[in-house]
Amino acid sequence: MDRRDFIKLTAITGTSATLASCGNPEHQLIRFIPDDDLVPGVAEWKPSVCPLCSAGCGLSVRVMEADAEVVRNGERGLVKIAAAKKLEGQPDHPINQGGLCPRGQAAIQITYHPDRLTQPMTRSGARGSGEWKPITWDEAIAEIVSQLDQVAGEPAALAFLARPRRSRRLELATAFVRGFGAPAPITFELFGDEVLRRANAISFGRDQLPTYDLARSRYVIAFGADFLGTWNSPVAQNAGYGAMRQGHPQVRGTFVQVESRMSPTGANADEWVPVKPGTEGVLALGLAHVILKNNLRPDRGADRGAGAPGVNNVRGGGAPGLNDVRAGASIEGWSGGLTAYTPEQVEKISGIAAKRVERLARELAEHGPAVAIVGGPPLAQTNGLFTALAVNALNALLGTVGQPGGVSFMPQVSQPLAVSPKPFEGLATAKVLLIDDANPVFASPKAWKMRETLEKIPFIASFGSFIDDTSSLADLILPDHSFLESWTDGLPESGAAVAVANVAGPVMRPLHNTRATPDVLLDVAGKLKKPVTLPWKSFDEMLTSSMPEAAWATVQKQGWAEVTGPTPVARPALRAIAYAEPTFDGDAGQFPFHFLPYASQALYDGSLAHLPWLQELPDPLTSAMWSSWVEINPSTAQRLNIAQGDLVDVTSSQGTLRAPAIVSPGIAPDVIAMPVGQGHQTFTRYASNRGANPVSILAPVTEAETGALAWAATRVKIARAGDPDGSLIMFAGEMREHPHEHEVR
Amino acid sequence: MPHRWGMAVDLDRCTGCEACVTACHAENNIPTVGPEQAARGRAMHWIRVERYWEGDFPDVRLKFRPVMCQQCDAAPCEPVCPTYASHHTADGLNAQVYNRCIGTRYCANACPYNVRFFDFFNPQWPKPLHLQLNPDVSVREVGVMEKCTFCVQRISAVRTQAKAETREIKDGDIKPACAQACPAKALVFGDLNDPESEVSRLSRSPRGSKLLDDLGTLPKVTYLARPSDS
Repeated sequence: MDRRDFIKLTAITGTSATLASCGNPEHQLIRFIPDDDLVPGVAEWKPSVCPLCSAGCGLSVRVMEADAEVVRNGERGLVKIAAAKKLEGQPDHPINQGGLCPRGQAAIQITYHPDRLTQPMTRSGARGSGEWKPITWDEAIAEIVSQLDQVAGEPAALAFLARPRRSRRLELATAFVRGFGAPAPITFELFGDEVLRRANAISFGRDQLPTYDLARSRYVIAFGADFLGTWNSPVAQNAGYGAMRQGHPQVRGTFVQVESRMSPTGANADEWVPVKPGTEGVLALGLAHVILKNNLRPDRGADRGAGAPGVNNVRGGGAPGLNDVRAGASIEGWSGGLTAYTPEQVEKISGIAAKRVERLARELAEHGPAVAIVGGPPLAQTNGLFTALAVNALNALLGTVGQPGGVSFMPQVSQPLAVSPKPFEGLATAKVLLIDDANPVFASPKAWKMRETLEKIPFIASFGSFIDDTSSLADLILPDHSFLESWTDGLPESGAAVAVANVAGPVMRPLHNTRATPDVLLDVAGKLKKPVTLPWKSFDEMLTSSMPEAAWATVQKQGWAEVTGPTPVARPALRAIAYAEPTFDGDAGQFPFHFLPYASQALYDGSLAHLPWLQELPDPLTSAMWSSWVEINPSTAQRLNIAQGDLVDVTSSQGTLRAPAIVSPGIAPDVIAMPVGQGHQTFTRYASNRGANPVSILAPVTEAETGALAWAATRVKIARAGDPDGSLIMFAGEMREHPHEHEVR
Repeated sequence: MPHRWGMAVDLDRCTGCEACVTACHAENNIPTVGPEQAARGRAMHWIRVERYWEGDFPDVRLKFRPVMCQQCDAAPCEPVCPTYASHHTADGLNAQVYNRCIGTRYCANACPYNVRFFDFFNPQWPKPLHLQLNPDVSVREVGVMEKCTFCVQRISAVRTQAKAETREIKDGDIKPACAQACPAKALVFGDLNDPESEVSRLSRSPRGSKLLDDLGTLPKVTYLARPSDS
């Protein structure tokens, strides 16, 4: 039978329908009547909140019909459910303005992940063995209640581990543990911004991340911050950046990036300034020195002198006044004109030519509004706070604090985050540990002994939706709904000019036998022998009571509302600090290279490595997928006889890892960089045992003033370890239609 | 006058973030192929971000360029197709009819932009990942060629809607998934036959050029260059 006949035949007999159902047993399943109110073929758009990072982008979720397999009355069948189909940025959201980053787009795969935990489980084998036994929710709640009852009254016996997020969810968890008599939740994030928050509290009285009005900037100089990729509020910053470049007729903003390894953000710069790691603050003060010495300060007239304390937001107007004074006063030698930071001195320390320092300073002063951004690696050095304060002082000098085209602080209605720089400390005394989707076993240096510490805790319960490096050590699993199936909220600290509260209800019914973690906590609170009294019956009741009625009505329509309230102002002690040479773990002779782990554009800090879209997303700078790799400068690679794809051993004082090499021109010869994300011992079928984890060989160096992990302050040595083993997978390369395997050799 | 759909890509706005790549996967039911097949060059990205390194450290520069089907007016992929699976629509799209395609791969061979992808096997969506599939887009099975459609399902939806409301399609009504997702608003889609449309305005820009222009393929995607450094 040829194709034409076959088509004729199928048209007459309906062969295709029969054939199709032969191969797909599900086509023979019974169809149940849907519970959802849906019209096939018609999409409904519902608001939600992106849960992946603290940026808090607003989502618009496309909901349409899908065939789900269910069991009803003991019979397997198919039912049409209203299912989320696609996440898009919400066009009216003040932060992301319709856009959404690649990670946010992929968040939908959390809900539909084939390895998502579908019901409560208890450990049935040894700890970490991966053997689990399903239990009912009643049993699970009873177990956690009994464990908590056993340690009631003991101080610090209960610990709660979460990621730092300004949210009502974390406030509820805090109220729960406080009510129990335990310390506040321990929050940990590898790429946390504690150093910058502290600097902003000192310089500007605001313990939070900054917001940049890039759309109206004419000159942007960024120190290490990957603000178009993974740092702070990337979607908002991309929107501003696009407008800065091409949003105004005739005026195109200039962008200069200062860093030692070209980030995806640095790749967009007009001028890329490679600087010695840890000397970024010196360059910032060198620029300030030139501006002060030559009296180039942009004339902002009334801005100078005394004014109201606090920072005014961009569109709020007003005189920043005091901020200039505070920001400058935190730097030693500021009032004397920064004589220690002459261009010649800066050249000696940072490696940037004196003439270039002079020119950059003049450009900054002449092309206002100009703004300086700092974040990421420069603040993950032992002198990170100094660097942040130096850049803050430069911004104050440029007169762009709280001004159009400058840096400002989003009004806040919540208290600043209490981030724990040393998360393991609070865990040492814990007898019961509750983990809400944090993975410190993966994301902390081995020297912190996270795994060993957790192994000593008698009882661990995890609320996460997946078995990962940390939750694999749990005794009890109480899986949460996905963000699309439950109430979700966030109180973003940057990215817009107004205070925003994100709150959204479920957009679809839960797929599995899961429960919303805040509701589980409320349930447990009431069932304890000595109940913890909390003022809410459910999480959505807490959310309702958290805002005025009018705002609540808005929230239900669009998933966010502008809220008002007194913004907390920080007044930490002010003390002038001077540049201290950065110190690194590892002797420069034995370990000649700086080691730079960086947040991956696809996998972020590794918490997204389980999503197949992101595993197969080509890295912007290398096109690598499904891989770990080590970036090496071409001259270094040549000297060490390392070619693209060769296996390389990277050794620090803490250990060795092996990964394929990528020879990249965008990295200093004395720097070795590696994306964070891979190297999970266990994290679903897509990420388990794939690649290497650079965090594992980091030395436990800390930033001197804040105690935050200085994750860019480890030195390493490298050596060629072998020929390519095929583990480096690139999207770019040969023509797809002619792979090497077809060649005759 | 019929529409003539085109796109402008402002390389000065594009930051290489790849939001467009994931958006395209979500919208068009593009499968992930896994590491083993990806290593054999079978990963599918209807839109990709290309990178061009220039210079050596420390004077090194990188340029990003998102590349998708250029929807050529003189498309090399079309005349080579023995079954007319690859064909030109009235509104200028290089369309692919999946159930006409017999998998000769002549079109991929002819395409100078390397934007056509062959289904070497049936796509896998381990359950319940299949629930995310977009019901508006057909799932391609083994042996057919697939490529960027300018999100033809979105074009059809807007056309139907406009017809129901007895009005013309307005500029900006249609946004392919990549353009919708783009945080920096680097991608602009619209009707090139409407001289007032945003995409027409941008396509006339002195910064504009076509990819591999000298091949004479007459692409409907215009790239707006990043102004050279001061």
